[in-house]
Amino acid sequence: MTKILLGLFSGIAFGFVIQRVGATNAEKLAKAHLMIESAIPKFMLATVALSAVGLLGLTAVGVGRTLVIPTSIMATGLGAIIFGIGWGLAGYCPGTTWAAVGEGRMDAVFAMLGGFAGTAVFAHFHEALIPLLYDPTFVGGITLADWVGSRPIAVVLLVALFSACIVVIGKLWGRNKEASGEA
Amino acid sequence: MQKKQTSTSSKSPYWGWLPASFALAGIVLFVFATFGPPASSSGFVSTLKGWIEWIAPGYTASKAHYRMIPGPASWLFAFVVGMAIGGFVGGRTFPVPVRDVPRIWEARFGKSRLRRYAATFVGGFLILFASRLAGGCTLGLFISGSTQLAISALYFGVLIFVFAMLTARVVYGPVRKEDRE
Repeated sequence: MTKILLGLFSGIAFGFVIQRVGATNAEKLAKAHLMIESAIPKFMLATVALSAVGLLGLTAVGVGRTLVIPTSIMATGLGAIIFGIGWGLAGYCPGTTWAAVGEGRMDAVFAMLGGFAGTAVFAHFHEALIPLLYDPTFVGGITLADWVGSRPIAVVLLVALFSACIVVIGKLWGRNKEASGEA
Repeated sequence: MQKKQTSTSSKSPYWGWLPASFALAGIVLFVFATFGPPASSSGFVSTLKGWIEWIAPGYTASKAHYRMIPGPASWLFAFVVGMAIGGFVGGRTFPVPVRDVPRIWEARFGKSRLRRYAATFVGGFLILFASRLAGGCTLGLFISGSTQLAISALYFGVLIFVFAMLTARVVYGPVRKEDRE
């Protein structure tokens, strides 16, 4: 029961924040993907950078549970490509769909229905698809820390990389916005 | 969408990306501390498992994908329901009314709701099929995984952004200047 209440509380807080930043607004996502508005990608990258630093602290004091999702070159890559196409088309990702439905967006209701259909189809063919796409190029739960040999240094690298991305996005996306203001 | 002549962010009712990212990172860390890596596409599996168990209990037991995810009496299901409640509370207390068809979509494809709903249905199908294949979504793989420095997450993150940007170019075509406010 505690788990259910914790999940519910975490979800409410999460849904509220992503609504407030505009991540449940498909218009904002389209403008992010078209390099017009930079807020959402910067928000996502900054969230990860801050969380990575925080998680380093949590694990240092032995709090929490981690579980690294393994890499399969084929399945992770193909999944990402299909995901990107769906994300670019609809402007919703699985989590924002729930919050956008709560917000009252009808197009998100259909994204959710499509999501259930996609889940059902994958689950039905799991036994055939996993040996075909996932297992042959399975690499395991590799992390940046395995590559550089130290978790704190890997976090510093990740934060530096994501900060650089935020700066670049701010410049490239911003330029588009300024150009539109003049035109 | 409110009309804005200038791009002053102080007038926007939306939170700035930096304070919002501190808020969301706080929630992500709370989830790591009290549950484990946050995930949301698994919530679709959890919900579906609950529905199918009513109708055909033998089916979920026979399928590996449903065996690996708990049913609705779980954190995963509570979390996605919570997200809907959070979105509801956020929407009720927000000055900008929601649109069923985004303005930028309407400018390209017209007012047809059916066309927009068909597109989001297909988009929803693709993102969930893909998430289940890759092992997670924007939250469960990109955010959760990158926070844990997972290579899978960084690889997934780069490709989803690239392909979403390419797809948006195809879907929306050359962007007209009146859409860029």
